Amino acid sequence: MPENQPTGLGARTFLAMGTVVSLSAAFPGVTDPQDDGASGSRRLEAAVRVIEADFAALEERFSLFRAESEASAVAQGVLRLASASAETRAVYADAIEWRRRTHGAFTPERPDGILDLSGIVKARAIAEAGRSLEALGLTDWCLNAGGDVLVSGTPAPSNAAQSAPEEGAPRPWLAGIVDPDDRRTLLAAYPLGGTPGCAARRALATSGSAERGDHIWALGGGRPEFVQVSVAAGDIETADVLATAIVSGGREMLDLATAQWDIDVLAVTDDGGLLATPGFRAPKAA
Amino acid sequence: MRARAAAAAALASFGILALGWQAGAQSIEASKVVGVTNSATGTAGSASSGSAGSPGSGSSASSGGTTAAGGTTGAGGTSTGSTGSTGSSTSGSGSTSSGSQSSASSGLKNGTFTGATEQTRYGLIQVQIVVSGGKITDVQTPQLTGDDMRSDMINSEAAPILRSEVLQAQSANVDTVSGATYTSEGYLASLQAALNSAHA
Repeated sequence: MPENQPTGLGARTFLAMGTVVSLSAAFPGVTDPQDDGASGSRRLEAAVRVIEADFAALEERFSLFRAESEASAVAQGVLRLASASAETRAVYADAIEWRRRTHGAFTPERPDGILDLSGIVKARAIAEAGRSLEALGLTDWCLNAGGDVLVSGTPAPSNAAQSAPEEGAPRPWLAGIVDPDDRRTLLAAYPLGGTPGCAARRALATSGSAERGDHIWALGGGRPEFVQVSVAAGDIETADVLATAIVSGGREMLDLATAQWDIDVLAVTDDGGLLATPGFRAPKAA
Repeated sequence: MRARAAAAAALASFGILALGWQAGAQSIEASKVVGVTNSATGTAGSASSGSAGSPGSGSSASSGGTTAAGGTTGAGGTSTGSTGSTGSSTSGSGSTSSGSQSSASSGLKNGTFTGATEQTRYGLIQVQIVVSGGKITDVQTPQLTGDDMRSDMINSEAAPILRSEVLQAQSANVDTVSGATYTSEGYLASLQAALNSAHA
């Protein structure tokens, strides 16, 4: 009865990149009654320290809020991009490639012309942290950085090998999506991870146009069609970039994205309506 | 030559139409459509010069077309050919090249003509026209595979949906929360704290 088994599920939170980063990790149910989950807790603490360093390293280089960062030097014209570090040039090239693939809906430049790679840097930090967690041997975890989510495995891992396979697919991580009209409530849910291979999207990112006029702007300077867009994808960078691009590029970009990428999308229009791919639809009730 | 050109142009035109019908206005398809147009550009050019009144000299206009203009040029050639023809008695079917070898008459050759199979994102597409009395009397797409791919594509489109139709969630039953960054930090922080304590 895995449901009754006390699964060690712990969570830790830290601040990075101006937002809240949370790591939840599940450890297979403890069979030794003497072990009250302390070993899982220790592993979680160690993992948090590692990914905190991952975030800090990228933030140190790319934060525009830090005057001494390389990104600030580039933004101020003190450092030419061509002379910047290989990592900065790689991120820039990555962003430019995304701009091409989204027909300009995603762009690394702010309207004032300042190079701002932070949109893609956070996704890279999440992906990097995910690789670190895998390297640490963690298989069941959920990483949330300011509303962008990357998961692995399940929140309810079965008890190692002796678990009966007929229990069926492992439970996915269930991610709630904030209602942009009332942020205290959730608009929808989306299952992440879980069954490998079967629509196993590991990443979910949400972008919004409300309250942050300087974050996303519609192409052509018009009012965005969508106030909030959530994209579930196989990797966090795709989810994050496309969510931003669809808010910016509107319906046209939404159609391009769903045709060209293997993703699920939930878009909230400015009059409160929803557009969704089937992945966001509730299973038909009996 | 003119008949061949007109047939090729017609096939190209209808190929474009069919592709457009298939794929909608997806910009992803643009390169493919251009490719189809290109293959008929040279002959389309000769068809339109033929309609200018000098049947023998039409072929000199080969390969002058540009990519986007090719489709419209081809359409022009088609209509010219059909109006000016008197119809030949020759019948035949097969591919474009074999069915339109050499017609001295000034119109489309009668018969059934099949265009080359084109690969599109949604599968293979092939267009067939039937010419009778120098006019195109029928257009079909005999080969159209990849229906499953096409339905996949339609499946993944975002469609309007009622709020009651989405997978519902309450903060009590979710493991994590996705929201627009920056806009909901406070909420996220407090909710995450609540989740943390619930999981502790």
